[in-house]
Parts: sequence; C-alpha cells; structure tokens
Amino acid sequence: MPGIWDKIATIDRRWIYFLMALSILFPTIFVFKFPVEITVEARQLYDAIDALPDSSIIMLTFDYYPSARAETEPMSKAALRHMFSKDMQIVTLSNIPLGGPTMAENTTREIAMEFNKVYGVDYVNLGYKANYVAVMQGMASSIESIFPTDWTGTPLSELPLMLKVKNYRDISFIYVVADNATVDYWISIVNAQYGIPVGAGVTAVSAPKMYAFVESGQMTGLLGGMKGAAEYERLINHEDMAMRGMDAQSMAHFTIIFLVIIGNIGMFVMSAPKSRIGTKRD
Amino acid sequence: MKRTVPLLTAFLSGLALVVSFFFNPDRIFLGDIQEVVLQWMTIIGGFALVLGVHSIIKVNMAKVIRKDSEWFYKLATVVSVIVMALPAMLPNSWSPLFGNGQGSIYNWLFEYVDSPMMETMFAMLAFYIASAAYRAFRARNTEATLLLITATLVMLWRVPMGEAFLRLFSDKLPDYINMFVMNGFNVSVQRGIIIGAALGGAAMSLRIILGIERTYMGKN
Repeated sequence: MPGIWDKIATIDRRWIYFLMALSILFPTIFVFKFPVEITVEARQLYDAIDALPDSSIIMLTFDYYPSARAETEPMSKAALRHMFSKDMQIVTLSNIPLGGPTMAENTTREIAMEFNKVYGVDYVNLGYKANYVAVMQGMASSIESIFPTDWTGTPLSELPLMLKVKNYRDISFIYVVADNATVDYWISIVNAQYGIPVGAGVTAVSAPKMYAFVESGQMTGLLGGMKGAAEYERLINHEDMAMRGMDAQSMAHFTIIFLVIIGNIGMFVMSAPKSRIGTKRD
Repeated sequence: MKRTVPLLTAFLSGLALVVSFFFNPDRIFLGDIQEVVLQWMTIIGGFALVLGVHSIIKVNMAKVIRKDSEWFYKLATVVSVIVMALPAMLPNSWSPLFGNGQGSIYNWLFEYVDSPMMETMFAMLAFYIASAAYRAFRARNTEATLLLITATLVMLWRVPMGEAFLRLFSDKLPDYINMFVMNGFNVSVQRGIIIGAALGGAAMSLRIILGIERTYMGKN
C-alpha cells in the first residue's frame, strides 16, 4: 500500500491546476482587501511626475505585448490619470508591432474621455516604427523625421501638440511601460545620452533587473508587476484593476508557497531511512 | 561583390554613427548623416516586416497546397494574417471599417480575438509554474535551499497578503527584503550581468563594423 507521501508525490498535475484555479477564483467571491504598501521605487516615480509643472509634455510608451496586458495596462491607465489630472500633454508611441499602437490608442482614448481631453491638443499617438534603437536615437534630432504622421496617418504638422514637440528637448519626462528589453535602451540611449529622466513600469519578471538602474540614478522610479500598478493606483487615489487583482495574486502566491512546502516535506520524508519514521519492516 | 558591398555598408554606417556620437556633426563633414542613417534603419526595418509577412504566407501556403499534416492550421495562419492585415491597410476614407482606428475591423479583431487569446496563453503560465514549483523547487543542497528561502520571501513580499504575514514577525521585515534582497544581492548580481552583456555587445558591434563577424550575411 503506498503511503500518503507517495500519493502526494505522484499526485496528478490536474489537481494542482484545480487548486490554482480555486485560489484565483476564491478572492473574486470573498474580497480580503489587504492594505497595499507603497515601495520606495513607486513613490519615487509618482513624486517625479507630481513634481513636474502642470502642462508639462510627457512621452508615454506602450512597449508591451497584449499577453502582458493584465500587469502593464493598469500601470498605463494609472499614469494617464495622474498626468491628465495635472493637465499634462502626452505623446504616446510603441516599439511593439503586435498591438502596441492599438493598445496605446484605445487606452489613452478611454482615459482621455474621463478628463475631456482632445486628441491632437492634449495627446497624440505616434504609433509604431520598426527598429526601436534607430527610433529612439532618431527622435533626439527630430521626431518628425522618424514619425512623419501619427498612428492614423495625420501629418504631425496638422497636430497642435506636435508643433510644440520637435525632439527630446521638448519632453519633460519619459514614462516607459514595458514587458521586454526596450527599457534598457530607453535608459542607455535616451537617458544616458540626452539626459531625459526615464521612469518605468515593467512586468514582475523583468523588475529585478531594473533595480540596478534605479539604484544608479539612471531610472527615476519603478513599478514592478501588478503590485507596482496597485501601488500607483493607491498613490493617485483611484482603485482600479490592479487593486482588484491583488487578492487573486496574493492567493496564487500563497498556493505556490504551500505546494513548495508540501513538495519539500514529501521529499524529506521519503528520502529518510524508513526505520527513522517508524515504518514497519518485513 | 556579394560580400564586399554588405561589408562596406556595415562599415560606413557604423563608422558614421560612431563619429557622429563622439563629434558634433555640424562641425565635421558628416552633416546630418546620422539622421539619414537612422531614417534608413527604420525604413529597412519596415521592409523586414514585409519580408516576414511574405515568408509566413509562402511557407504556410506551400504546406496547405501539399496537404501536409495539420495543413488546416497552416491555412488558419494564412487566413488570419490576411484578415487582420488587409482591412488595416485599406484607407479609412473608404469606410470607417478600414484603417486601424477605433471602430475598424482591425481594432475589433485585436481587442476581442487577438488580445484575449494572447492573454489566455500567458495566464496559463500560472498553472504550469504551480505544477513545476511543486515538483522541482526542492531543497536538495545548500544553494538550492538558499534560492528557495529567498524566492519564498520575495513571493511573500510582492503581495499585500504576504506583506501582512511578514509584518506578523517584524514591521521592518518587508523593508529589509526590499533593502537587502532586491537592492542588495539582486542589484549587485544584475549589475555584473548588465556590464558583462554591454561589453559583449560593444565587442560584437566592433567585430561587425570591422568585418570580422560575418555570420549576419548568411552561409554563402
């Protein structure tokens, strides 16, 4: 007869999937609402934007794929709400061909409507151009040379906001929301070479690398994963998707930790000599 | 000729950007060469995308015509490419359904088909990670145990419920994790990796500019 630990060690993985699904669904019915503590890095990003004069021009990049939307879109929305509430003017673009400009368009329009902002005057979507290293470097001398038109094909010369924005010198802050390595280039090309402050919201998996840039002062603040987005939502006093997702993420983390502990106990019990754990021998 | 022209192009483009970076382009003979080279880079990047679309249609259509195994999926790929791309390329002035703005076919397909499918695929990772963590994340030796403890602490620290749990032991514990694990051990290791990768990148760029590294031109 196999013991309990043998059974647990050879458990069908579908039970693990079921446990995981339950742990994510459970908080949608029973809301815990544990307080979201603000990290130093999130506070730094918020303070940097908040300290900018009203009506400053900000570049917001949507450098993420739709797959990472659950983590990154709340960051974009929270940032847009913060910026529009201070009447800042926003230039959006994307270095991701697969859906980046569309997400920039839809998300910005949605938040702009909340604040009655007008396209072309308060915000512009430049869209996507291939080869992001060349795009970042090229915009230093002339944005129009890289993006002659906006995402929908309107020449930049016909957009009132873009008459004021010729290159990085006219931008006060660059806020990068990304799920990939484009952040590295925003720092090494745009911040290092042209001195424009860069802050970022990235997926939890890429956040550890970014701490090095925050520590060195090359990056002004950082949001890591959905928790980072939730922190920003708390800072702007507008609870949204990230705050709602915190309970599910908490439960998922606890489930994984529980599984790791059970797995390790099982390993120790099964690897111990049988006499030591009191099993009868024939 | 087949090799000399690409080598010369790479050398001159690289040299122009390096010289423009170190010297004021207005004061030397290069003028606005940097801007021109960068414009060319984005244009070539655009053509590379067109080449990618051509390649995906050509490869998949060949398999559909030959009725290879699972040809139906190849057909679905080709149809998807055309259905997404064609309405987006047609001018919006013809119909609000064309182009890529709000209310267009492309926008609808992206929001309600493409994006949910990609998000679903990514979300499934949570289940695989749970299963993999259960089977593989074991304290087999000292290094693995250290990794296990650190990962558990960071996982607790990254969620509000975990943070509240850590505060049961000490109010300062979450701050210590941020200070010593993320801004301590993590930053020192990440810096080493970043500096190493940057040096490797610089060396590789130099090899390409000088024509030592030629693998980008293919075998022949």
